[in-house]
Amino acid sequence: MPKLWSGLFAGAIALFGLGVLGTEPVLSANAGPDGAYVKECSACHIAYPAQYLPKRSWERILGTLDKHFGENATLSPAALAPVKAYLDSHAADSASGNARIMRDVGVNITPLRIVDMPFWVHIHRKQIERKAFDNPKVKNAGNCIACHKGAANGQFGDDD
Amino acid sequence: MKIRFVAGLALAVLVPVLAYAAAAQKPLLDAYSVAAKAENTGFSGFSTERGKAFFLAKHDAASETPSCTTCHTTDPTKSGQTRAGKDIAPMAVSKTPDRYTDAEKVEKWFTRNCQSVLGRACTAQEKGDFITFMASL
Repeated sequence: MPKLWSGLFAGAIALFGLGVLGTEPVLSANAGPDGAYVKECSACHIAYPAQYLPKRSWERILGTLDKHFGENATLSPAALAPVKAYLDSHAADSASGNARIMRDVGVNITPLRIVDMPFWVHIHRKQIERKAFDNPKVKNAGNCIACHKGAANGQFGDDD
Repeated sequence: MKIRFVAGLALAVLVPVLAYAAAAQKPLLDAYSVAAKAENTGFSGFSTERGKAFFLAKHDAASETPSCTTCHTTDPTKSGQTRAGKDIAPMAVSKTPDRYTDAEKVEKWFTRNCQSVLGRACTAQEKGDFITFMASL
């Protein structure tokens, strides 16, 4: 009899664990970014997850690389092509994207920063995060890796 | 006698290492030298001093990046930091020996950063001076 109880208890713990893990894909990108995208887009900042912006955002960003958040980040046409292909096939509204990331993004809105995405604002709404962004070491909210040590590999859970 | 031997040994090891470091950048410097002559018939070689002055100069093309030193700091033997917060390996060849050996990479960054900082393309002489200064440190 005690064995049955302990078995049930372990089962309940396992189910609870699965439930917690089940929320992870909302926080973490499906897979770490790779290939040409990482090579070309992670010199100045981490390779931000393609899944966190819609296709139209990535298109606008790639079309304005000569004025990229105050710097020229131009790529040659040959270097740009595989980057565009990667972002197109991994964006939030692509077949491999996550529909929940697109929640509350107006059809006429083209966010150019992940920190302007409603899902991001919702997740970082608490006092503790707002305080962290004021820390001079963090520099700005786009410096994901200051808090999420696994950010470069697409890991954004509370413990990453 | 012993000191002389040690000093001689150190020189024997060090000189080839330094020569190697300069040799790795030579193909690119030669290419910029050819381009500099084409741009300016009066060109008579690259200058460490001009490269240093260029690196430290302040420009007014952009408020975010007024100088090379905005991200690379005034000491090229130290790591710099991008505006987004990522470390940049030192620009000095002695600290990052594979710098200025990949022509495609070098051109990519001169293209971007000359536009960002100066608001124009750099001349071949400016690029050669810059690399000559970084190879001298």
